Amino acid sequence: MKTVIDAHNISKTYNKENIPVYAINNVHLHIESGEFIALVGPSGSGKTTLLNLIGGLDRPDTGEILINGTSITKMKDNALIDFRLNNIGFVFQSFNLIPVLTAKENVEFIMELQGQDQQTRDNRVKILFNQIGLTDKMNNRPSQLSGGQQQRVAVARALASKPQFVLADEPTANLDTVAANNLMDIMELLNKEEEMTFVFSTHDPRVIERARRVITLVDGRIASDTSKEVSELQNAL
Amino acid sequence: MKIIIKIAWRNIWRNKMRSLIIMFSIAIGIFSGIMLLALYKGMMRSRVKTVIYAELGHLQIHDTNFKKDFEPKFILEYGDSIVKQLLKIPEVNAIATRTITMGMLSTTTGSAGIQINGVNAKDENEVSMLDQKIIKGTLFKSAKRNEILIGNKLANKLKLEIGHKLVLTFTDTENNLVSAAFRVAAIYASDNAPLDERNVFVQQTDLNELIGTANQFHEIAIILKQDEQLDQVETHLKKIFPYQQVESWKTISPETNLMVYTVDISSYIIMAIILFALAFGIINTMLMAVLERTKEIGMMMALGMNQLRLFLLILFETFFLTIAGLPIGLLFAWAVVTYYHIYGMDWLSRGKEMMNSFGFNTTIYPEFPLEKLSMTIGFVLFTALISCIYPALKALQLKPVDALRK
Repeated sequence: MKTVIDAHNISKTYNKENIPVYAINNVHLHIESGEFIALVGPSGSGKTTLLNLIGGLDRPDTGEILINGTSITKMKDNALIDFRLNNIGFVFQSFNLIPVLTAKENVEFIMELQGQDQQTRDNRVKILFNQIGLTDKMNNRPSQLSGGQQQRVAVARALASKPQFVLADEPTANLDTVAANNLMDIMELLNKEEEMTFVFSTHDPRVIERARRVITLVDGRIASDTSKEVSELQNAL
Repeated sequence: MKIIIKIAWRNIWRNKMRSLIIMFSIAIGIFSGIMLLALYKGMMRSRVKTVIYAELGHLQIHDTNFKKDFEPKFILEYGDSIVKQLLKIPEVNAIATRTITMGMLSTTTGSAGIQINGVNAKDENEVSMLDQKIIKGTLFKSAKRNEILIGNKLANKLKLEIGHKLVLTFTDTENNLVSAAFRVAAIYASDNAPLDERNVFVQQTDLNELIGTANQFHEIAIILKQDEQLDQVETHLKKIFPYQQVESWKTISPETNLMVYTVDISSYIIMAIILFALAFGIINTMLMAVLERTKEIGMMMALGMNQLRLFLLILFETFFLTIAGLPIGLLFAWAVVTYYHIYGMDWLSRGKEMMNSFGFNTTIYPEFPLEKLSMTIGFVLFTALISCIYPALKALQLKPVDALRK
């Protein structure tokens, strides 16, 4: 399998009342394509910081992050923005769709920034809305969609540019059980159909149990990193 | 780019009331600016028309020494021949010859220094509309000799009425002092009271006889068929009459030309001041729009919107906000200007005396400043560009990771 994310010795500190606090402390992380990973841990354990670092939204104080073999640690701001546009998909906790655009336009937004032509965009949008089951809501504005529907559109948007991987920060936190299960079904489906790598931070046990690899963070360090296949094998033994 | 424009356009309607208020302010600003330009243009056009069609003509020809001291001996040599040549020029519409001398007007109640203009009534009516300025009496009856036409202001000052007698004293071509009695035949009033006070008109034949110039004269005033032909005809006349002094109204009355130029410059300044004031409102609105969308902007940057695109988004939003008020302001100004251009604006009637003392008509016919339209639009676009810079810088300073936390 191809290595998508390779993080070496990354650390990130924040100053709290002039005292440096480690948000991420000397973390090594290796993620391969097609993985479906849950990043878990108590609040303040560094889940969101780690997602921000591997998503190129923040820079580590030490260490290096390679995405598909390219180091993003010392990339210039505008180059990093372009890199994110073409390589990384994001799903945020509070959906964060652009309120003045319709669901379709929100998904097209990334592809327009990439400079894709109308025909390509239309084809991709059609496939994605089919996959998230919202073909009939394509022309609705976010305010006309439920929370679950908005999050599904956000997933479609994250996948629109065919990124290397998708980072989702607590994607089910604002959803009810039905909507959360529905969203997980879609993410699993896309993971299989498009062989898309998903990394999501979560507290939600419904999400954790569907992940095939669970990385637990405590105080900015990886406390455990277990693969379901391995643990199932261990249990069987 | 299309998606940026789409988002920008829709963003300005997210807070309709706020956007409408700023658009309305811009429309009012544009309306006020255009109205002011239209009033200035109307006033200046009226003043220039008065200078050309009621005072000086487009061009004048004199002996090169005449205007130094206005001495009667400097008659225009070969005047008749020059007149004949002028009449052959297709651009020339009308000409009038004038015999001119400086002198003293005396009555039993007082005296005043004046310029005596010996004119041919028929020609003068075509060149300076003399007959249209008469408010009392009738213009020279050819049978009567030594009739005089005086300005209303002078008449009031010296308590002169129609039929009253007065004495004109002046020098002839031999520098002898000549006095002659004249009777007031008519009183005139133009839009230029100081000029009315200084100029009296008598029949050219009467003055020529007294001054000793026979059929000769000192000045030829020329009216052209079109104002735009001035420079071309002036150059031509200077070429064919190299030994005479050929001058356009701009040279003879530099203060009028300077006034037109000054008003032109001041209209640009006033427009700039109006838009400068409006810029603060636009900056405030855009700053609020950026600050209340911090998270959304952070999200767009996280997804891959680079700094150039973000700047363009803010720029387009500011442009739309600014430009939306432009057609409303222009249309409203055009409608009001067109109405008053037809019916005239007489709100200065109370200041008639003051306006006349500066040579202005009290009824103003504003003219839509079409030639300044591109300047106005340019100013508005520049204002939008300037106004977007600070809000855009604020947006560009955002770090996606911090903005997303808000």
